[in-house]
Amino acid sequence: MQVLEEEIALKCHGVFAGKAKGEALVATQPISFWGGIDPKTGRIIDKKSGSFGKNISGKVFVFPYGKGSSTSSAVFLEAVRCNKAPVAIVNVQTEPLLIVGVILAMRLYSKSIPVVDRVEKNPCEVIANQDFVEVDADRGILVVKRARRMKEGPRLG
Amino acid sequence: MLDGEDGYALETAMSVLVKLGDMYGADKMIEIDNVHVDASTYAGIHEAGLQFCKTLARENARFRVPTTLCISAIDFSLWRQLRVPSKFAKKQRELAEAYASMGATPTWTCAPYQYGSGIRFGQDIAWAESNAIAFANSVVGARTNRYADLVDVCAALVGKVPRFGLYLNENRRGQVLLCAEAIETEHLSCTDYSALGYYIGATVGQKIPVITGLSPRPSIDHLKSLAASAATSGSVALFHIVGVTPEARTSAEAFGDSHVQEKISIGNEELERACIQLSTVQESQADLIVLGCPHYSVEQIGEAASLLEGRKVRGNVQVWLFTSRAARMLAEKKGYVKAIEAAGGKVLSDTCALHLPLHGWNFQTIATDSAKMAHYAPAIIGVDAVFANTAECLNYATKREGQVTCKSWKKR
Repeated sequence: MQVLEEEIALKCHGVFAGKAKGEALVATQPISFWGGIDPKTGRIIDKKSGSFGKNISGKVFVFPYGKGSSTSSAVFLEAVRCNKAPVAIVNVQTEPLLIVGVILAMRLYSKSIPVVDRVEKNPCEVIANQDFVEVDADRGILVVKRARRMKEGPRLG
Repeated sequence: MLDGEDGYALETAMSVLVKLGDMYGADKMIEIDNVHVDASTYAGIHEAGLQFCKTLARENARFRVPTTLCISAIDFSLWRQLRVPSKFAKKQRELAEAYASMGATPTWTCAPYQYGSGIRFGQDIAWAESNAIAFANSVVGARTNRYADLVDVCAALVGKVPRFGLYLNENRRGQVLLCAEAIETEHLSCTDYSALGYYIGATVGQKIPVITGLSPRPSIDHLKSLAASAATSGSVALFHIVGVTPEARTSAEAFGDSHVQEKISIGNEELERACIQLSTVQESQADLIVLGCPHYSVEQIGEAASLLEGRKVRGNVQVWLFTSRAARMLAEKKGYVKAIEAAGGKVLSDTCALHLPLHGWNFQTIATDSAKMAHYAPAIIGVDAVFANTAECLNYATKREGQVTCKSWKKR
């Protein structure tokens, strides 16, 4: 079976600076970190999220936008303290709740977690779980790489 | 402040606010009149947040504006009765001490707009806790963005916030019209408003809804229920109810110059679905009844007291009402607390069932009259949840046997 690597570059808006890369974890529903993610393990615990049981730790975490409780920022920071945070975040639209967690992660724990949003195509549709994603929030570019076997999966782009 | 000459605390706080302002294209910093801090519970902010607050306190940081505190992870008086491990209680007390030294007012409530923080129309404030944000913006017409935990602390230290989002008139206009004319709104309870809000939040997501057809005028407690659930299923920070909320005396005022882009009619079917969705089981035994999310007002405590009058809570069921320490004190004066305790219920202050450590109880199923509680409890407490009317919750708790049945919009 022939294995091809597809690659697509997408323009996006850098919300919080930095570069990171890793395997994608895509949640198609808006997520609340509080009640949605266990910061001690990185596991998604919200059964209504559509991604129950998956783990955000070390991933490029792709989700539409944050919702719900304002405790989300602190839960995110605790995930950072426990080394269970994602390496980067890709949103349709990032909202203020998440941002302080990212800023304090840098200030308190010297961890850089780039955040991008307003991707030229809906990232929750274009990116699939296990795609390899390179996030460059400084230049506003997202590169999605996918090993694709013939007759499988939707074509990128 | 940014150069660090005022100390690490102020420098950190300022850098967070400046970064936030940069990200959202703020033109300047504006003064705020007060802050409501949601980063008040150890269960919410965890060790990372506690370390941050203790660092600030150690530096003798002081809040520059009046600052109220949201809930605690324990009832400071009754925590032992609630089987809270003393190690956990100690962490919460350390957090309380850090905030006391920074000058916060120990209100310990998620509904500071009812007891503890007077706010008025047009005021710029910085509030956290999603229900309080939605209430302050919508019902009072004060102005706040949705502040996250710890940004609230930064805002209180600096006394200023970047001007963007909901501080600006043009961002407060309605975006979606929701018509409630097709539903019967004559005798809605707080639980009904809770279900309605849950539907609204899920429907509009991040947009600002304008609701018509809610008559008679909802009470403060109704609006509290609606705000809390709309901010649970969606990220609603502001809603307008025509003829009720202050920026929506008319539909035209609520929408401003913008055209009505989307019009949705609220029907009984959708609300029925919202009610059903909120329960993980439709009918069940429950071992904990949770009332008071958001914190009950004195009037709501009185209503529960009268529903429990002459009754006795059955052996294997707990009935817990959650409220602020201020409301509890008033409810005590009115005899409500005594009446509820005589029936076997507990009136808890300062805290929330989602933040109290409950593993000492081994609860399997909760019943609650709050959509927000029913939504979060399964993931956070690890229980099944039944969303039911207040009277159904308390009837079930005081019956000898039988199950609690989830709320139906149609069979109200």
